[in-house]
Amino acid sequence: MANHADSGHPKQSDSLDRRSMMRLMGSASGIGLAANMNQITALGESRLNDQLRASGKRVILLWLAGGASQLETWDPKPGRPTGGPFAQIQTTVPGIGISELMPKMSTHLEDTAIIRSLNTKIADHGTAYELMDTGRVKEAGVDFPHLGAILARELGNIESKVPDYVSMYTSTEGRRKGSAGFLGGRYNPMFLTDAMMPENIQRLESITDTDHRERAELRDTLSKLFARHHSHPSFEGHNSAYGRVRGLMASDYLFDIEREPESIRAQYGPTQFGQQCLVARRLVEAGVPFVKVARAWWDSHGQNFETHQELCADLDHCMSTLLDDLKERGLLENTLVISLGEFGRTPSINGSLGRDHFASAWSCTLSGCGIQGGSVYGKTDENGNTVVEGEMSAGDLYSTIFAALGIDHTKEYMLGSRPIPIADFDSTPCYSILT
Amino acid sequence: MNFSALEVSKEWHLQEILFCLAINPNNDQLWFGSSDSKIYQQSLSNEDSERISYGESGHSSYVTGMVIAGDTLISCGYDKKLIWWDTNSHEPIRNIAAHDKWIRRICVTPDGRLFSVGDDMQCRVWDLKSGDLIASFSDHAATTPHHFPSMLYALALSDDGSSLATGDRVGHVAIWDSHSFEKRAEIKTPDLYTWDPKQRRHSIGGIRCLSFSPDGTKMAVGGMGKVGNIDHLDGASRIEIFEIGTGERLQMIEDAKHKGLVEQLRWSPDGKFIVSAGGDHKGFIAFHETETGKQVHVVEHSGHIHGLHVNFQTETMFTAAHQRLAKWSFGQPKETAETTPTS
Amino acid sequence: MPSPHPDHRYRSPSLAASVIIIAVINLLSAGAAWCDSDAARQIIQLAERIDQEIESQNADRLPRQTLSDAGYLRRVTLDLAGRIPTIAEIKQYEDLDLPDKRLQVTTSLIQSPDFAYHQRNELDTFLLRPLNHDREWRSYLLEATKENRPWDSIFREIMTPEETQPEDLRPTAFLKHRLGDLDKLANDSSVIWFGVNIGCAKCHDHPLVDDWKQEHYYGISSFFKRTYRSKKGLIGERFDGKVKFDTTSGESKDADFMFLTGTKVTEPELSLDAEVLKQYQEQIKKAEQDDAAETPPQPLFRPRQQLVDLALSDQQQRFFAKNIVNRTWARFFGRGIVHPLDQIHSGNPASHPTLLAILTDDFINSGYNVQRLIHAITLSVAYSQALPMTESDSPSHGENKLENQSDRGVRYFQHAEPRPLSPHQLSLSLLIATGNPEKTAEQISNPDWEQDRGKLEERSEGLAQKLEIPGENFQVPVSEALWFSNSSEMQNQYLGGGKDHLVGYLNEIEDPSAIISQAMFATLGREATSEEQVVLSKYFEQRNEQRVDTIKNIVWALVCSPEFRFNH
Repeated sequence: MANHADSGHPKQSDSLDRRSMMRLMGSASGIGLAANMNQITALGESRLNDQLRASGKRVILLWLAGGASQLETWDPKPGRPTGGPFAQIQTTVPGIGISELMPKMSTHLEDTAIIRSLNTKIADHGTAYELMDTGRVKEAGVDFPHLGAILARELGNIESKVPDYVSMYTSTEGRRKGSAGFLGGRYNPMFLTDAMMPENIQRLESITDTDHRERAELRDTLSKLFARHHSHPSFEGHNSAYGRVRGLMASDYLFDIEREPESIRAQYGPTQFGQQCLVARRLVEAGVPFVKVARAWWDSHGQNFETHQELCADLDHCMSTLLDDLKERGLLENTLVISLGEFGRTPSINGSLGRDHFASAWSCTLSGCGIQGGSVYGKTDENGNTVVEGEMSAGDLYSTIFAALGIDHTKEYMLGSRPIPIADFDSTPCYSILT
Repeated sequence: MNFSALEVSKEWHLQEILFCLAINPNNDQLWFGSSDSKIYQQSLSNEDSERISYGESGHSSYVTGMVIAGDTLISCGYDKKLIWWDTNSHEPIRNIAAHDKWIRRICVTPDGRLFSVGDDMQCRVWDLKSGDLIASFSDHAATTPHHFPSMLYALALSDDGSSLATGDRVGHVAIWDSHSFEKRAEIKTPDLYTWDPKQRRHSIGGIRCLSFSPDGTKMAVGGMGKVGNIDHLDGASRIEIFEIGTGERLQMIEDAKHKGLVEQLRWSPDGKFIVSAGGDHKGFIAFHETETGKQVHVVEHSGHIHGLHVNFQTETMFTAAHQRLAKWSFGQPKETAETTPTS
Repeated sequence: MPSPHPDHRYRSPSLAASVIIIAVINLLSAGAAWCDSDAARQIIQLAERIDQEIESQNADRLPRQTLSDAGYLRRVTLDLAGRIPTIAEIKQYEDLDLPDKRLQVTTSLIQSPDFAYHQRNELDTFLLRPLNHDREWRSYLLEATKENRPWDSIFREIMTPEETQPEDLRPTAFLKHRLGDLDKLANDSSVIWFGVNIGCAKCHDHPLVDDWKQEHYYGISSFFKRTYRSKKGLIGERFDGKVKFDTTSGESKDADFMFLTGTKVTEPELSLDAEVLKQYQEQIKKAEQDDAAETPPQPLFRPRQQLVDLALSDQQQRFFAKNIVNRTWARFFGRGIVHPLDQIHSGNPASHPTLLAILTDDFINSGYNVQRLIHAITLSVAYSQALPMTESDSPSHGENKLENQSDRGVRYFQHAEPRPLSPHQLSLSLLIATGNPEKTAEQISNPDWEQDRGKLEERSEGLAQKLEIPGENFQVPVSEALWFSNSSEMQNQYLGGGKDHLVGYLNEIEDPSAIISQAMFATLGREATSEEQVVLSKYFEQRNEQRVDTIKNIVWALVCSPEFRFNH
């Protein structure tokens, strides 16, 4: 399937970047995204790759599954009936206070922007997850790509030797794989659940490395012979998947934190979340553009305060260690660290000393790449019931994330003849927290 | 006591969450600690009278425990402080930063020593009069086996004041000599931890209360049983009774119909019954035979009960609960008061 | 059959092949009598009509190339039986010297147990599989495909299971797995049964399609609004419940029961008094929560049933029929006559409107006979076209020209488009390709094949569930390549060296070139080209010492080739 306008088709030039290429192809006849995608695979990618590699932006999403409480993290309301028992502590950024459950982060805000004004309205786990992981309300009949897939596509290298979307989700509650939706299986996550090592990434002992390599070469040779008479983007996509196998296998060491010095492992600490954050750092260091580390399950309908004492200790330690480590390695500048869940928790405290689902006024953070550190965006009322300043939707958050990464948030994908902007319609980046 | 006749004889509705209460020996004054960081005094001789609010310079977080000693009220809270109050002037006398983390419970010995436990996992001993720290000791790990902060919820004193017990989040109970602070025994109740290793990867339970039998030989431990979904207080309320000398578990009492945490336990003076109170979204008070574990009676309450006072002589009880304070009696007529303003 | 004599460890491949041919000869003769029937003649005529219409649109006289026998057999066996053909089937077909051998083979395949299973898998994938793997539902579908149940009956059974088969809960799965989400239920139903994606018209009139207004979206939703499922698993409809929506001008409206064609259904006044209505409502609520509760009464006016009746009425049925005709066509050509498949509307005209009309009429007149439609399609010359020729083969050079031709060629069905195998097709084909070809051929010719095919389905399930269901823009995910490259299942089970496996079977053959030839036939259904022979022989020579591993690696390279992965 090719996709050329009949006239005025410009020659591909060295300066043609991916974005303009997408535009070009999007504007051609309505063959659909499949053609575009395959076309990208089919065209000589090396020049584009250089540009993409040069950009080198990466993202780590700390996914607080189940919904962490904004009042026990980024938007405390001490002394208010809704405030709960925890105190607010002053951070090293003058004028910004956060919950005392985040003491380490209180000294790490210089690279972090806190957003306190998310109003995403949807407060059931499944739908809210879809909203926050795709940046838009689910629409029957359209399979929207999840954030990781969008960023794998926008920031990744099509023939990358390392994975471009790794997602870790160990707890079983609320576990959802995330999908590349209409972007296609190329951008599906490498999904880690029980084991820290991805499935089928290591060579079996029953086959030698030479045999493994040579049979792949044999496969490749036969495919090339076949392609001489039957060239098609679908076949090339298939070959490209096989072409990535050896590279991915060679990246198995990235998942092995035993290779880290003891001192680094000790810094991240013994919890599983800490270990996964360390894997995430290893992955982005090696060029993986998107890593999601899910920490489940924050859904504290009962005993919210006890639950947050446990889980915030983990979040505070791991997030601050991760930011430190990225910074020391010079990676933070190009790595955006997001802490986000599907919603926050009710200001009102229920009979079980719990907080319930709440999506009307909640918080998240963005750190590192493209972010104006030490800033706070938006404001909630004194009890945290409503947003009173700088209301932000899921689409706005996505726009902000894209803008922080240097991706044009107005960019569109073509689904058939229908343009779909990568951030939802009418969304705007929050420029005040961007550098 | 005619358990089956138990009912609320007076109820006060509030906006706040009430965690603890204390009553003077004359039984005419009641104090309770609240989520608004305050302490209130309610006259019991005139139940409809206005509550007195204690001084502004008190706690800055939830007030979680209190004891009365003569004219002095001592309170503790999540602000890590112990505060001595003059019950005549309603003003603080002394304010001590007593622990490094939340203080969960306090108790007082007849010989004038105050014990406190907090999430710094320490049990601390204070001179009731001077406020001086006498000792600090612990047998409780700061972190759980899964590397999360542990909590030291429970504290109990034997009736004769000679023994002390402390209990934590992971189900470890230490029994102490209350004078030498030497550990005399320990008890394990690992099921009360409720760690979920697979689905949600945190816990919700812990030992929430302890109570010595009147003769000091047995220990009742309260919390919650196995929970399927630890998002909620969805496990059966659970009491375990142990022989302290051997560590042998004598009873395991679960009530799947009354879910949630057992927050308070009291043995009857004859040692035959045990009163428990707690709840999930709602509350309950239950009575069990200690020999057989059989439930004698249970009543439900509209709010999760955090604090309990039982007077076996006058056959009255008081509960401090979620947005409710209640007086209970065994067969007297019920009267419900509308929210009365706090002064 | 391996010889007991050690001296004769290696057998001649040609002998092996002849044994197989005798074993499967019955397969082709099965449909011989039918091929002379009126029904057969009608199908042949329909296939001819297809070709006339396709040819009439080929104004450019694009070069076309028809598939070889082996190529056709592979394509049609994948399409009708859901698996690749065995070596024996290919040889037999190639050797068959009959003018109507395509009629013979398609008839045999359609009459074989394979067809019902494959048709079941396709229907499942289309109707439910992305949401749920439901064994009971699959058994219902198999029952329906075995008897070639008419499409309108299947539609009725699935959409109003309580009306058609109240005791049978299996067909309720379609509704059951969507009931939690009215938008999904309404839009999926619209897409699946009518080829209309109205999702975009939820918040405003469809921005790109004049046909679809907000009223259509909520109109379709209305038909499903009252549907509920009892704890027992029975589907029912409530006595009341309307869909309300806010128009873009901010007006709040009650949606009408409106079909996609704009036809409305008027609800008669409910003649129940309030007390009785309340009692029924409570009964329904109880039935939803308690599986011991008695089944509530059915209201006289049942919107979902109204929708089904309306869709099948004389005035509306073309709308319903056109969709399945278009989808069935797309299954065999990789592209619909109206494309995309969920965009049947006036702004997206059919590439071959007359063809679509002819097929739709025939489909309705034949009593919604899907099998007949499939049979005609697979008999058409259009279906047997090869992939487009690449530059080196093509008479006209120049990149742009080639691509333009290729594009038009796809759009006008002048040549074939490679289609990724479905998870079941791939999983089953891998089992067939890596199994002992003699044993497989024997099994297929055996009267117990129906049972064995059922077992093969079971065996294929594990891998099928791991594989991605190809969508509109399918790309082979790297997880699949990793599974083929590194899973122990692949290495130890599929490539096992025992006598039940191809690797073990090939290892019994002495001559490397015969091994290569048999390996090619078993996996790709064709002889090796001379270039391939050279490459593979060289690989063999270099690794003389590691015979079994060499064979394994060759088989691996073949089943991991794009040629194996796609139907082309």
